[in-house]
Amino acid sequence: MRARASALITVSLVWLAPVFVAGQTKPASLPRTPDGHPDLQGIYDVATLTPLERAAGQPLVLADEDAAKLEKQVAERKFRAGLPSRGDRDAPPKGGDGSAGAAGNVGGYNNFWIDNGTRYVAVDGRKRTSIIVDPQDGRIPQMTPAAQQRTARATRATSDQQAREDDPGLDPTPGAYDDPERRPLGERCLVGFGSTSGPPALPVLYNNLHQIVQTPEHVIILNEMVHDVRIVRMNAPHLPPSTRKWLGDSVGRWEGDTLVVDTTNFTDKTRFRGATETLHVVERFTRVDADTLLYRFTIEDPATWTTPWTGEYTWPRTAEHVYEYACHEGNYALGNILRGARLKEANAQR
Amino acid sequence: MRTKLSALLAGIGLMAAASMPVVAHHAFGGEFDPNKPVLLKGKITTIEWVNPHAWIHLEIVKPDGKEACQYTPNAKCEEWMVEGGTPNTLLRRGITKESLAKGTEIVVDGYQTRDHSLARANGRNVTFPDGRKLFLGSTGTGAPTDGADPAEGRGRGRGRGGV
Repeated sequence: MRARASALITVSLVWLAPVFVAGQTKPASLPRTPDGHPDLQGIYDVATLTPLERAAGQPLVLADEDAAKLEKQVAERKFRAGLPSRGDRDAPPKGGDGSAGAAGNVGGYNNFWIDNGTRYVAVDGRKRTSIIVDPQDGRIPQMTPAAQQRTARATRATSDQQAREDDPGLDPTPGAYDDPERRPLGERCLVGFGSTSGPPALPVLYNNLHQIVQTPEHVIILNEMVHDVRIVRMNAPHLPPSTRKWLGDSVGRWEGDTLVVDTTNFTDKTRFRGATETLHVVERFTRVDADTLLYRFTIEDPATWTTPWTGEYTWPRTAEHVYEYACHEGNYALGNILRGARLKEANAQR
Repeated sequence: MRTKLSALLAGIGLMAAASMPVVAHHAFGGEFDPNKPVLLKGKITTIEWVNPHAWIHLEIVKPDGKEACQYTPNAKCEEWMVEGGTPNTLLRRGITKESLAKGTEIVVDGYQTRDHSLARANGRNVTFPDGRKLFLGSTGTGAPTDGADPAEGRGRGRGRGGV
């Protein structure tokens, strides 16, 4: 089995080589639409263990045996998370359970709701430790001094030191709970969290499915999360700068067999990783085999980063369906969050 | 060399772990109170199969409960709501809101909302009374042919209830 798999990988590498070297060749075996362009249509599940950035000093390529070890560790962790708990257990500890990040010291919810992938991304048959490939250290480049000031202002600590010590999971930004419009876009159900719809489209905890539908005039990318739809107008100019969109304005063109999507005209509220409305994203979709797309993106915002940066990962086809995600239908969380903050204020005044 | 490799693996594993919980639909710490841990034992009255998060409603027998219990005769109950994740993940594994009969007994540990007048908590851990998880977890999407399990067949059948 193993020998067969590596033979298969070798064969596909040899077969794919011309695509990667020339980029403009037209291998007859790739499915094409009637107008002769590669057929990118299908449903893709982009869940992966490969993070956007990698730790300092790590190489980009992960040896197959190391990837296998890490993937096994994750599978074991998920298996353990599914084992029975004690039926006669007590309530969790007072003061919080110590969980970090968005789980906010209260532990989020069960693992069975989470679907964040089982494998590291492989590009050219080699596993990857990060999505970012440029800069070469696999990290988002430094922010400009102005951007550093801007983001530092936004995350300046609240004067309520005691509240922060009591609730380490709380957002320390002043006024963060004062207004629904100050809450994160994902929490407000405006766009998916973690740039899942993009651009750039990045893998997140669940709902990692994208569907591509293609005509000569448009390419449509349906994202399961928040059922955001991106409509890419082919060979069209960008909208005037006065027209701003949450997901930006996307126009497309073919460069050989690669679909290039250029996006500008973001709102000043989209703020991908601290970016401004001058964010410019170029995405490149290339079919590498019947079941796989290579997705590559370059991020540019001179008002935020000192250099552009680029990431890439593969989108494997899935036989799964894309389901709806009408985010507002039961968004009790937002009300609970704001109501909790008002109550806390009322208690403080008493 | 061996130490270097395991340090490397640990580093990569940490990066992957660290990159996970930072992004989620909302700040749980803002919604729920770490100083109000709860253990809820009761019977499912309904499941709100909604986005962005499913909510499981359960009734808990309480002598001073305001309403008559639906699934425990001659007793008073208090209704609680428990926050779960996206229904899509479960749907993909063939689990629907019909998969659990109303009246099924469950045990939930979590934290109550910061607004203590609401009987709501996060479903930090939702199990049957014997401790089994309410739904089976999965290493992949849970579909039998998602490729996550090398032992799986090439068939197109669906498991655990079917879709």
